Amino acid sequence: MKCKRCGELAAVKLPSHHAGFCPDCFEVFFKRQAETAIRRHGMIKPGEKVLVAVSGGKDSLALMRVLTDLGHDVDGLHVHLGIPDSSDPVCERTEAYCQENGFRLHVLRTAEVGLAIPEVKDAVHRPICAVCGKIKRHYFNRFAYENGYTALATGHNLDDEVARLFANTLRWDAAYLSSQGPTLPGEGRFVRKIKPLYRLTEFETAAYCFLKGINHWKAACPYSGGASFTGHKKLFADLEDRSPGQKTAFYEAFLAQGRPHFKGASRGEGQDTLYACAQCGFPSSGEVCGVCRVRELVAKRKGEAD
Amino acid sequence: MITVTIDGKKPPLTYPKLKTVLQLLANLNLRVNDALIIREGELLTPDRHLRPGDHVTVRMVMSRG
Repeated sequence: MKCKRCGELAAVKLPSHHAGFCPDCFEVFFKRQAETAIRRHGMIKPGEKVLVAVSGGKDSLALMRVLTDLGHDVDGLHVHLGIPDSSDPVCERTEAYCQENGFRLHVLRTAEVGLAIPEVKDAVHRPICAVCGKIKRHYFNRFAYENGYTALATGHNLDDEVARLFANTLRWDAAYLSSQGPTLPGEGRFVRKIKPLYRLTEFETAAYCFLKGINHWKAACPYSGGASFTGHKKLFADLEDRSPGQKTAFYEAFLAQGRPHFKGASRGEGQDTLYACAQCGFPSSGEVCGVCRVRELVAKRKGEAD
Repeated sequence: MITVTIDGKKPPLTYPKLKTVLQLLANLNLRVNDALIIREGELLTPDRHLRPGDHVTVRMVMSRG
């Protein structure tokens, strides 16, 4: 197979684009997809500082790389979760990669704010992935807000977005459908959330990391029973295999034609108003936000144990 | 013989007869964009030929959480 742009031997076949690319031209393709996403959805304005949520996996490190290569002013934030045999090596690998490549990386340790994930796991009676996600979202946003970043960029790719859209559609969750998209505007103490890789698939970010020599973390979280929406992703992979381009078509058509119908959808009675959390001051649907409530549970359990 | 390692798992699989990457993907019940197929530090497209003695790495791309 020949590269669609230069005619050299292709390294990557992309049926959804009816194309194959050699390593150099694939990088051009990848950067252009991210650039298009940023431009079409007003993700980053000139001169804005962007914080990248860096887990150490392929998507977040690819995002850090491509945003830097596109000339944006980016720093990374890695949230160290305090999980034995996992968080330390992930953090070390991520720090090493960022140092080698001249990326500024901040590390926030949840154990230092009373939220080491193993202790959280013991203190709450809910699936740990949901609580861990809430804690990470809170601290990514809070760090961005408190340190003057205009936007928070996450490595969500097309497969993530399509799987989430499909899950929201299966439930006809109007409130979630109204806010799903590659850009969520900032408001109050919420900074703008952006997903510059939303036009790129998992395969494409994996290929990009391989070709750019990005040594990302590959093992799953020991607390995870598998990534979220895995079943939905497999379903769409089948669809895509039979009819290349379906994922992009489904998602882009939703943005253009579906989402406007859900604009302003309510989350339910009394759920739409946000208050400042009495403890941390960040937006909350109740007097105390979910993260501060979890911290109280952890402290209480530790107190009982002592 | 072609030796195939999937996500670093041991022991690797061996195939006496495989002509192309597409055949390998079919044998592993994988779709074209499910995995990176790597030989000697190079990514291979499905139409590439495999040779006896090749060592191929299959790296699955789906996030595992």
